[in-house]
This record gives sequence, C-alpha cells and structure tokens, in this order.
Amino acid sequence: MKQNLWCGLFVALLLIYSISAYAQKIGDPAPEFQATDSNGQTHRLSEHRGKFVVLEWHNNGCPYTRKHYESDNMQRLQKEWTALGVIWFTVISSAPGQQGYVTAQQENDYLKQMNGSPTAALLDPQGVVGRLYSAKTTPHMFIINSAGLLIYDGAIDSKATTDKADIATATNYVSQALEEAMAGKPVTTPTSRPYGCSVKYAH
Amino acid sequence: MNRLVWFFSVGAVGLALATLTSAHSPSDQHVKIELISEQDGIVPHGKIWVGIRFDLQDGWHTYWVNPGDSGEAPRIEWELPEGFAAGAIQWPYPERLSTPPFADFGYEHQVLLIAAVQPPPGIKDEKSQRIAARVHYLVCRDVCIPGQKQLELTLPVKSLAVAGSNVQLFEATRRRLPQPAPESWKISAASLGDEFVLNLIIGRSAGAPQFFPLEEEQIENAAPQTANTIPGGFRLHLKKSRHLMKPLSRLRGVLVVGSGKAYRVDVPVSQSSSNVHTQS
Repeated sequence: MKQNLWCGLFVALLLIYSISAYAQKIGDPAPEFQATDSNGQTHRLSEHRGKFVVLEWHNNGCPYTRKHYESDNMQRLQKEWTALGVIWFTVISSAPGQQGYVTAQQENDYLKQMNGSPTAALLDPQGVVGRLYSAKTTPHMFIINSAGLLIYDGAIDSKATTDKADIATATNYVSQALEEAMAGKPVTTPTSRPYGCSVKYAH
Repeated sequence: MNRLVWFFSVGAVGLALATLTSAHSPSDQHVKIELISEQDGIVPHGKIWVGIRFDLQDGWHTYWVNPGDSGEAPRIEWELPEGFAAGAIQWPYPERLSTPPFADFGYEHQVLLIAAVQPPPGIKDEKSQRIAARVHYLVCRDVCIPGQKQLELTLPVKSLAVAGSNVQLFEATRRRLPQPAPESWKISAASLGDEFVLNLIIGRSAGAPQFFPLEEEQIENAAPQTANTIPGGFRLHLKKSRHLMKPLSRLRGVLVVGSGKAYRVDVPVSQSSSNVHTQS
C-alpha cells in the first residue's frame, strides 16, 4: 500500500516534470485544458477547434495589466477580435491570497466595471492552466490557430513598460499575428519576451 | 481613478494595492533613489563618474539590464549641460531571484548604476554644472510598483577634484562589474539539442559558476545550470529558451565564478559539437 503511494507520487512528479520540461513550442499542438469561468461554465480548448483562440494572462493589480486596461487597450482588442469570431480567454492564475486572485463575483464586477469583453474569464487559482502553458507574466499572450496549433507566445506588444503613452507607438504582436494568420500568411513575430509582473502562482 | 479605488476596496486585496492607488510616488517607501558623484567636482578635460543609487527596503528588488522572466530594467534619461556626454550604464552582475518555476535577474538591498560623464573641452572652472537624470524603474516584492524619479546634482568645476565620501561605494561597484575574460582563457559555445554548452578552459575548476544571459529569451532562466569538470576547466549546460525560433549566432552574457568575480562572455555558437569556435 505504502509502495503504491510512493509509486503514484513518483509518477505524479514525473508528469509534473515532463510538463515543465517539454513546454510547447510554436507550431506544436496547444495543450488541451479544461477550466471554469467566472459564470461557472466549463470550457475546453478542444471545443473551439476551427476557431482562433487567444489566451490572456491577467492580474488586475499588476501595473502592466493596468496599463492595458486603464487605457482601454485590452478591452478594445477583446471587442475587435471576438467580433471577428476569435475566442478570447482571460486567464487568472493568481493563487488565493496573492495579488490578482479574485472570486467569480469579483471578476464579474471587474469585467462590468472595466467594460471587459473576453469570451470568458477562466479562474485558475491552482495555476494548472498557467503552468501547462508556462505563463510567466501578466499580461502574457498566446494564440492558437483554427487547427489547434500554437502560433504566438509572448508579449502583448513591443514596448515593455508600464507607460500608457507607449501603447500608441508599440507594435501590437497579438493583432499582428491574428491578422497575418487569418490572411493565411506566416506570422512575422511568433514569439517575444512576455513582459510584466510574474504570475502569482501558489508556492 | 475613482473607479479603481472603488474596485480595489471591494476586492480583498489590501495593503499592496492601497499603496498603488495613493497619489504620491507609491514606490517611495520601498526604495530611495539618489544621484551621486564619485568626486567633489568636475575637472576640465577629465571625465567624472556619477551613479544612481537604489536603496531598497528588505524583500524588495529592482532589475538587471536583462530582467529575466518578469520585471523591467531601470531606464535613465540624462539631462546634461550643453556639450556634456554620458557613457553607457555599467551594470554590476546581478543576483538570481528565484520564483519557481521562473527566475528574474536583479538586485536586492542596494545597487549603484554608474556611468561616466565627459565635460566638453574648454569648460571654465568658475561655474557650477547641473547634472540631472530622470529614472524610470520598477521595484517588486511579491507585487510590483513602477516609479519615476527626477534627480539632480550640482557640481563645481575645479582644477583639482578629490574623491568624496562616495568613493568606496563606487569602488565596490566596480568590483562587481563584469571584466573582459583573461587572455589565457578559452571559451567556446555549442548548440547541442535543447542545450547550449559553454566550454570554459580557465586553468582551474570553478565552484558553482553562473551564467547570466545579456539578451532575453535565449536560455530558460530558471533551469538549473550544471557544470561538469573537464581538463583545465568546466563545461556549463544551459537549457535553450523555448522562445528561440532560429539558431543563435552568438551567446552573450556574464559569467560569475567562485569568488564572485564576473567576466564578459561573447562567443559565436557552433551548431555542431565538432566545430567549436573560441573566444580569445
């Protein structure tokens, strides 16, 4: 019995190790996940095969996230791309007690307050989806194409600052990648250094 | 802003966010930033060393030129009298700030970022000169707070300047600046599968060497760097960043060995193990 327990623990550790050791690369199938949103609905990535999916890592207290929300930049992107059929998941991987952790009600209040319009806000307080994707920062953006392959992994744009004034002159990598991929073109910038606060995972 | 204040008071987020929404530089209580000079004046024809000193509250840190997986390096905009020119910031080697599964590169407690300022030729020795800097920075603990600070320093022009009280701090900072690798060293790098392998023939083994990449997204910052002893030195294994899209032509960074001495590494990366380039 005890042996089985150790064996199970070993397999679990091996699994965790292999997930972190073989983080997905551009062009690889995006890892499947299942998560619950702030309205209690369950979402699976594979349900959206045939559509482009954006993942946006989020922490409402992080100054880099605030740069893109207080300027309305993120909400505009959400509106623009969901109107074109893109599925947009805001993912919150802050652990309870950490900056950015929200209950479902708090997240719904926030979305209403900020006029946020992602397809859904996924609550990931255990950091399962975050660790699966190796999400490093808030924001950290991923794009998955209609075939379920990862086509972008990186920053929201080219100016790694907290200054709202930089948004106008930055290249928005998410829009650029979506425009190019939807037109059947190769993505000019498929990766970049994601910039922001570290994701506040459970320790 | 009011909406935000409302929102944050609704969320059970507490102290850290309250500081974020306050009106005055909220990072002030976590870091003191000053512009200081090494000497007590500017000598015609001679350069002067100035520095931005960060004194950080315990638990808080700021960042190296490559901040690693999160954060942002300080940016300094000089405002100098006409004809003056400031050289590049000299970055002391950083600490690895581990926040599993990630790692940042930065500084805790205190850091001085120094730069040389060159006055124009023919500067008169009766006038004082104002050296100013606008510093944009980020300090983090478990939360991050950005800040901006306008700093200035007025220095007399003198025919003879002497080292002021800051000289020891400047000297200590210089000891932490990466030096060129000794000529006798042979450094080479190869790309092997999902690793870069740095071969360092330095005439001895080195305790627990650490490599800090100068550029972002070349290696996985948090991955363990294993060193194997080889004749005359050691081999350091660095895991490639998953964000690397094409072969890397050069590996640039800072190597810190045993006793806390740091050396600059800038070597071409050979794409096969049989053809290894060296830095001489």
